[in-house]
Amino acid sequence: MKNTTLKRWRNVVAALVVGALSASSAFAQDAALKSEHGATPEPIQEAVLDKLLEGVDVCAPPKGVDEEYWASLIPEGNEITPERFALGKKLYFERRLSSDGTVSCATCHDIKRGFGDARATSEGVGDQIGNRNAPPTFNVTFLHTMFWDGRSPTVEHQAMQPIVNPIEMGMPLDPEKIIAGIKDDPEYKAMFQAAYGRDVNYPDVGNALGVFERCLVFLDNPFFRYMNGDEDAISQDAKEGWKIFNNQGRCASCHQISPSNPVGSNNKFHNIGVAAHNQDFETMAARALAALESDASEAAVDELALNSDLSELGRFIVTKNPTDIGAYRTSPLTNVGVSGPYMHDGSMETLWDVVDHYNKGGVPNRYLDGGIEPLNLTDRQVDQLVAFLFSLTDVRFADENAKEFAKQRSAAAKSRPERDVEVSTRRVLSFEKFDATAAKKGE
Amino acid sequence: MSRYRRENLETQVERERTEFFAALNNLDRRSFLKVAAASCAAATAAGATFGSFQPLRFVGAQDAAGNASNAGFKVAYISDSHLYVKEKNDRFANALMRAVDDVNAMEEQPDFVFYGGDLAQLGRPEELQLGYDILKELKAPLKIMVGEHDWYYDMGEKWKSLFGEPQWSFDHKGVRFVCLMSVLEEDFWTERKMTPAERMSTVAGLDNRVQRPFQVGEASRKWLEETLADCPDDKPIVVFSHSPLYQLYKDWNFWTEDAEEVQAILSRFEKVTVIHGHTHQLLTNQIDNISFHGLLSTAWPWPYAPQGTPELTVPMNRSDPFNAMDGCGDGEFRVSAEGLVDKVYNIWNRKPILVPAAYVRDGDESQMPPRPNIPNY
Amino acid sequence: MKKLDWKSFLFGAALGVAPIATVAVVSLTSSEATAQLWGRFRSQAVVAAPGQVVVCSETSVDDGAKSENAEFVASSTQWTRGFDDSWVAEELERHPIKKIDDNKTVWNIKGSQKEGHTYGNYTEADALLWKKETERLVAEGSLIFHSADLLGSKNGVSCDMCHPDAEGTHAETYPKYQVQLGRVALLRDMSNWCLTQPCRGEAMSGDDPRMRALEAYMHAMRSGKPMKYGKH
Repeated sequence: MKNTTLKRWRNVVAALVVGALSASSAFAQDAALKSEHGATPEPIQEAVLDKLLEGVDVCAPPKGVDEEYWASLIPEGNEITPERFALGKKLYFERRLSSDGTVSCATCHDIKRGFGDARATSEGVGDQIGNRNAPPTFNVTFLHTMFWDGRSPTVEHQAMQPIVNPIEMGMPLDPEKIIAGIKDDPEYKAMFQAAYGRDVNYPDVGNALGVFERCLVFLDNPFFRYMNGDEDAISQDAKEGWKIFNNQGRCASCHQISPSNPVGSNNKFHNIGVAAHNQDFETMAARALAALESDASEAAVDELALNSDLSELGRFIVTKNPTDIGAYRTSPLTNVGVSGPYMHDGSMETLWDVVDHYNKGGVPNRYLDGGIEPLNLTDRQVDQLVAFLFSLTDVRFADENAKEFAKQRSAAAKSRPERDVEVSTRRVLSFEKFDATAAKKGE
Repeated sequence: MSRYRRENLETQVERERTEFFAALNNLDRRSFLKVAAASCAAATAAGATFGSFQPLRFVGAQDAAGNASNAGFKVAYISDSHLYVKEKNDRFANALMRAVDDVNAMEEQPDFVFYGGDLAQLGRPEELQLGYDILKELKAPLKIMVGEHDWYYDMGEKWKSLFGEPQWSFDHKGVRFVCLMSVLEEDFWTERKMTPAERMSTVAGLDNRVQRPFQVGEASRKWLEETLADCPDDKPIVVFSHSPLYQLYKDWNFWTEDAEEVQAILSRFEKVTVIHGHTHQLLTNQIDNISFHGLLSTAWPWPYAPQGTPELTVPMNRSDPFNAMDGCGDGEFRVSAEGLVDKVYNIWNRKPILVPAAYVRDGDESQMPPRPNIPNY
Repeated sequence: MKKLDWKSFLFGAALGVAPIATVAVVSLTSSEATAQLWGRFRSQAVVAAPGQVVVCSETSVDDGAKSENAEFVASSTQWTRGFDDSWVAEELERHPIKKIDDNKTVWNIKGSQKEGHTYGNYTEADALLWKKETERLVAEGSLIFHSADLLGSKNGVSCDMCHPDAEGTHAETYPKYQVQLGRVALLRDMSNWCLTQPCRGEAMSGDDPRMRALEAYMHAMRSGKPMKYGKH
């Protein structure tokens, strides 16, 4: 029945799709077209995607990326083929993989919302809200681990997790039940056979989704064009921003950009103090301890486990290494202009906020990465760095990027919540401020 | 899932976690607590104290039920901050503040905090004053030692006015603590007509041949002997010294000229531990009855000397220059009821490293600290 | 363009550097060096001499005169401290600077008939001259390496504070992919990173006499280590 709903959508939107695509932008305006959880209806997304990938041989190594390096990133046994891509694409938009038939991958990784969901944290089955920002599904091949805390080793493995997560797609942890909705669909039967020579099965759902997402490569941005000789591809501000990125801004220490690995992440984990914004690690730790060691605090246990705010401990959950507390993987930067809001919890609205955050040396906490320190960037330099970041968006998203730039600029003109000139210029030391805040809390 | 080449820790953790949350859905309260406890125990076994955030649990500090079984006591340390005035160098001041926060945040507060010398970089009164102002934020009592960077501008005048005499001694819970002024240098400055600032700058450098090797000196050796005169041979002794009290690498003054004479004074005691600053790195040594431990700096790590690093030392990982605090940190040590010292190096952004007495003194290889994965060369 | 004086003419000619009339030789700042990697500048760059890239525009060197006069600077580093060179001996005494190779293997043994009458016919005095000139540059590097002021450090941090005897500089491993820069770095790129970040100073151009001296000192101090480019 859920499938019928979807079919009805298909009919209703068919005409609108044409309208949407006639606009020059990949993300044409169509505010009216929202389905469950605020996502764009899947058929529209699919059509937009086809348009985005028009003329691209999606199964070939991306242009400009070293072929040997690219091949090393593809897991053995799950090589990219057109059949697998086609299957993965179909599954990406498949709501029957969710417990109530309202959520597909594309709900939170919406092609028309920057392959994310343009909100701080995502909404899954039963309108439940998670605690992490949905990362975009493009350019994922370059990441060595998946999820903000890197708890998954491959895209293929990662793709299987939200399906069974109780607050995302909510399926029971039973391979048969997961595929129950699609296993008798003759179209799927044929596609699984063509792609993997097997009948419909859960691990191949992950494999096919992995292939599909690996093929979503969006690297044709003005900055790379500039680097390859097109002098006019980016603004003078962006050029200055690139210099700051490499030098005073210290950005390149973690966000390295090179022809082999153009997405701008070192794939390492750092505490930059974002989790410290809303979380006092010590308090949280004390609460966790109390909850886990004592029967008396049942209410606390409930809250702890079900809201799972232990997730603010970041990479620590994976390694159990205290120095990974509050650490998350360095985010890739390509298409960053269209993938806000930012940080693991989506707590920053604009790239100005992001740069302001770094400019003041993050938020001090006892687990802060030592490479994060006040940068003494002027407002002008912050603007230039932001201009550079917006030049990293694929030209196919140019209109959306320009729109987002204007939107963020006007938001930043009104409010710069992360800006702290006293600390960024080192007139007040960050730990001095930390102590003062701690003392205030103690009062 | 096992067919993926990169199946690793993450996969395993994810599976455990998924099972954990799946289990939650189907459990009653009592069973849930069991699962939670198991998960907590797994974390502890992996080397972390899940939730408690103490850097490490000390070997032997707890019995199976988690109760403290060994009286002992804890001392925190901070060392070698090399402060310039804040306006000249914010990073060093910030780092010392971070260390103070670390110590103040310890759930189990130490009996005292030991500062290992070189509070200032160029011995200027303002630098020492800044250090004093930051250190006074410590919750636990401070015991402080002098380093050559604190001394050779005004020959200790300002330091003494802030912190008192550089040599001191006291008994604490059955252990005798003694602090030496061990950075005495023969006069090289008068003949060269150096100003105090020049003298200080010369001493401040590591790789120069103009300054003289460190020594404790005859007067202080005599003082040490007298101070320990009333101690029976089986009384545990902890000696604080800025220089290492053994001879390691002369070119960098990782050296104490009269080390053997000092060691001779200490030779009658069964349990002696020397805690020294100056070397800014993990450094472990055992000479006869004496265990030696270095301290981390909060300002910068030194590379290991080309020669002379004791065999017992498991070197620390090469530090990352892009992280100005890497290889730096603070730490603590626990003195057991028997008077033996387990030493913890709390390197910022890295897993704390425990160097237990069982390894240093008794040569128990199973207690050896982890080898670095990026060796020095 | 600054008028070339006799020194630059002499040394420029001796080094075989062709006079460059309209373009500037600059060292690449890190962003430009990355650009080079990407092929940017390829259309504009002409190779002037090994190791020098001639760029027509976008010089980001602060001191224009310095870059215009690069070939002069590069060939006259050893003159920077004038005629009194007692400081060289002082510096060599002050810091344990590694001994230079004695080059005995190329001395002409008295009475033997070497091939050729000029090239290959070296005496002990020749080798001493080489030593003196080389040591001068290395000693100059040592001075800068040990002085926050000469280095241009803004926070009192000098090279020797983290690298006594140039330990840990790993000069013999460059060029290498510097993971934290995300690109292949030369020793001077890494030096400039240290200069701008831990020391909060201004980057030097690659032909800055101080940079050349620093490189000389680091290579001298790492003498004896096997050259292994790309090693981590």
